[in-house]
Amino acid sequence: MIKLENVTKEYPGSTVALRDASADIDKGEFVFLVGPSGSGKSTFLRLLNKQEDPDEGRIFVAGKDIGQLSSWKVPMLRRNIGCVFQDFKLLPNRTVSENVSFALEVIGRPRHVIKNQVPAICDLVGLGDKVDKYPEQLSGGEQQRVSIARAFVNRPLILLADEPTGNLDPQTAIGIMRLLDRINKTGTTVVMATHDRGIVDTMRRRVIELSEANIVRDQARGVYE
Amino acid sequence: MALRVDYIAKETANNLVRNPSLTIATVLTVAVSLALLGAALVIQRGVDGLNTRFKDDVEFIVWLSPEATEEQRQSVDGALADSPQVRDHRFVNTEETYAEFEEFWKDSPEVLEAVSPEQLPTSYRVVPEIPDLAVVQSLGQEFEGLPGVRNVDYAGEYIKRLNDFTRVASNIMLGAALASAAASALLMYNSIRTALFARRREIEVMRLVGATNTFIRVPFMLEGMVQGVVGAAISTLAVFGLNRVIRNLLDQTSFRLFDSFALDSAQLFPVAMTLLGAGAIIGFVGSGIAVTRYLDA
Repeated sequence: MIKLENVTKEYPGSTVALRDASADIDKGEFVFLVGPSGSGKSTFLRLLNKQEDPDEGRIFVAGKDIGQLSSWKVPMLRRNIGCVFQDFKLLPNRTVSENVSFALEVIGRPRHVIKNQVPAICDLVGLGDKVDKYPEQLSGGEQQRVSIARAFVNRPLILLADEPTGNLDPQTAIGIMRLLDRINKTGTTVVMATHDRGIVDTMRRRVIELSEANIVRDQARGVYE
Repeated sequence: MALRVDYIAKETANNLVRNPSLTIATVLTVAVSLALLGAALVIQRGVDGLNTRFKDDVEFIVWLSPEATEEQRQSVDGALADSPQVRDHRFVNTEETYAEFEEFWKDSPEVLEAVSPEQLPTSYRVVPEIPDLAVVQSLGQEFEGLPGVRNVDYAGEYIKRLNDFTRVASNIMLGAALASAAASALLMYNSIRTALFARRREIEVMRLVGATNTFIRVPFMLEGMVQGVVGAAISTLAVFGLNRVIRNLLDQTSFRLFDSFALDSAQLFPVAMTLLGAGAIIGFVGSGIAVTRYLDA
């Protein structure tokens, strides 16, 4: 599903963010990216949906070399990749269901599809009774559920999560991880960057550890360290 | 696709009301600059109309003295016929002169009553080979000295002076219009940039979920074009108003020379279309540059 071949990414004027990274992630896998801040986790994720382009190496998503993708096809790639962030990135002037349907509206999905899918996904993430609330009326965990609903409503092949539990207390974080696990069980490949030792050690999934821009460990059923 | 249309309409409308002061400033700047352009166009059309009216008319008139004899008239006629610089000449008798006189003073019956056809002089209307003012004047002087000739009038001279003056005036207005059109395009650019900044969160999310560039751009481009066209509509109303004022002024005088400066609706239509088109272009260019610079970066 995802394949990196000797990928190097350097930001102009600063240090190397990712050096000669190779990895192969299968469909349906759940992968933790761990490592300290600045080790290249976010760059790893940003390369996968072409928010960044590598300086060297090749990246394949669903069998396609995304370096060869012309710019007008990038939106089609992103429709297959959901994104969840530490800061949720919700739109404050829209309700829960409007935030979720926004993701479908702007890719031109027909109205009846939106009408069917939005309530269903809100139920799935456990917010069926809060669809008319605004983000500021929700707790952090609930806001992250909205953002997961938005990322998943288009049934992407891949879900990228950049420290999704970083702003949440441990109890709430467990709820979010259960949700991501459920999504993963539907066949969606999940790649999650995290600092959360407890979560990684509890779930025992594949762990890719980054340190100073290098992949230093790639371990099935791994732990944080 | 129906959803797309109402989504775009809704987003465009939201953008327009999100920052009303900037929207109004932009619309008014467009309106002022296009009103200048419209006024310049009206004046140019007026001048064109003036020229059309006089193009086929005499370039100069040789007036005969009332007491000129028939031999004198024939020698003037002969001189005009023989001159290689005269393309055409035509004798205008007293009745014809009176008919023109009547037409010219038709709103002043007291003038008409005071004059009878016999009192009016006869004349030759002369069309020269070269319709250049200097040539026409030296040619006219040749006939001025002939016996039986009272004087020579150069109708074209006044027209040309007026023509030159109005051309300069309308060119100055055109220059001012272009400068302020540039200013309104810049303001448009800033207005759309502000709208892009206000919606940066939405734009970020749209990109992440895979909205196409076109889909992201269109509401902003439309916003610019709506502002441009609304400004143009205001300027069109201003030009129509100006035209009505000119017409009223002309109707109050009996002087028909400037009639061509009051345009009829068939002449105003292309002016209005030009202004609306220019407004749309200002909106398109200003917003297009903003969107290209801030979304494609």
